[in-house]
Amino acid sequence: MIDRLEACRYLVSKLGDELVVTDIGNQKRDLSEAEDRDLNFYMWNSMGMGSSLGLGLAMARPDRKVITMDGDGSLLMNLGSLGTETLRQPENLIHIVWDNKMYHLTGEQPTATAFRTDLARVAEGAGYENVARCETLDAFKAAFDKALAEPGPHFILAINDDKPAAGGAVPKSPTYIRHRFMRAQGLES
Amino acid sequence: MAWSNTMVDVLKQYNVQFISYVPDAKGEKILQVARKDKYFEILPLTREEEGIGVVCGQALGGKRGVVLMPTAGFGNSINALASLAIPYKFSLPMIIGVRGELGEFNQAQIPMGQAMPAILAALNIPTFRITREEDVEKMTEGALRVAYANESPVAILVTNEMAGWKKGSVKL
Repeated sequence: MIDRLEACRYLVSKLGDELVVTDIGNQKRDLSEAEDRDLNFYMWNSMGMGSSLGLGLAMARPDRKVITMDGDGSLLMNLGSLGTETLRQPENLIHIVWDNKMYHLTGEQPTATAFRTDLARVAEGAGYENVARCETLDAFKAAFDKALAEPGPHFILAINDDKPAAGGAVPKSPTYIRHRFMRAQGLES
Repeated sequence: MAWSNTMVDVLKQYNVQFISYVPDAKGEKILQVARKDKYFEILPLTREEEGIGVVCGQALGGKRGVVLMPTAGFGNSINALASLAIPYKFSLPMIIGVRGELGEFNQAQIPMGQAMPAILAALNIPTFRITREEDVEKMTEGALRVAYANESPVAILVTNEMAGWKKGSVKL
């Protein structure tokens, strides 16, 4: 299984001007621990909206790669967004789902992926043609490299271990997060 | 000019390039006009809440979008409004086809329709209710101006008084 923090460290090491949005939960802290980039957008609530936010951003910025970092619980809350992504087919979109098969922060309750649901097959059923199901860090690295290099949309399911998130400090103020992100794109002075 | 033509003209004047929607009869009138103009990119959603995220994402990328939804869909969107659009201060115009009010024949539409104004008020979302065709230009432009000045969601309510009232279509 994948160590999510190690995978996040690899991910940010490959990034330049790519835009990253994260849904709520552990991946937000691991991403900021790896590197709190100005081009990271962190959601603090609205569980499930990460995929929709990433799609809107990919539509608005076709000149940049957009990486959505989702969780199993978050995606299960907004599964329809997979169909919206595939009907729109944004070539610049990389949708990563960190799947630890639980709602970690609320007491490790199992999600549907702890039972019979396989989100990679759900993504295929929703119309994704580029689907990677990764159970090791090496597999994740290869899938992410491919997604960065080739037109998408890409869906990467990263099966990660049950470790809690690193202690990365995530900016708390929603408006600070938004303005910093937009300024770093040159959209605000 | 039909109210829908006027509304779409104002969206274009305000550089609203993206239209996301869950369909309803009133929103379809707007889409029929927008589909004829390549300026607009139209995105169908599976659920209205998605549209809140999509429009916020478009704003994050420096572009303007609007979401069309029925009244039931406003109910589906509440937490995304309260926990994403409002705290992050995203400009987010919603054009909502009103159900559950004047002339409603479907009892299951009425509770949400009656609750929607109070929910909008509780969330402090500026709300603009259009009841007459001659008000469409002023109300749409005024609502968009507030959305971009206030960096907040706004609700534009398309009512049965203006669109959709059919005399004697259903007799209960």
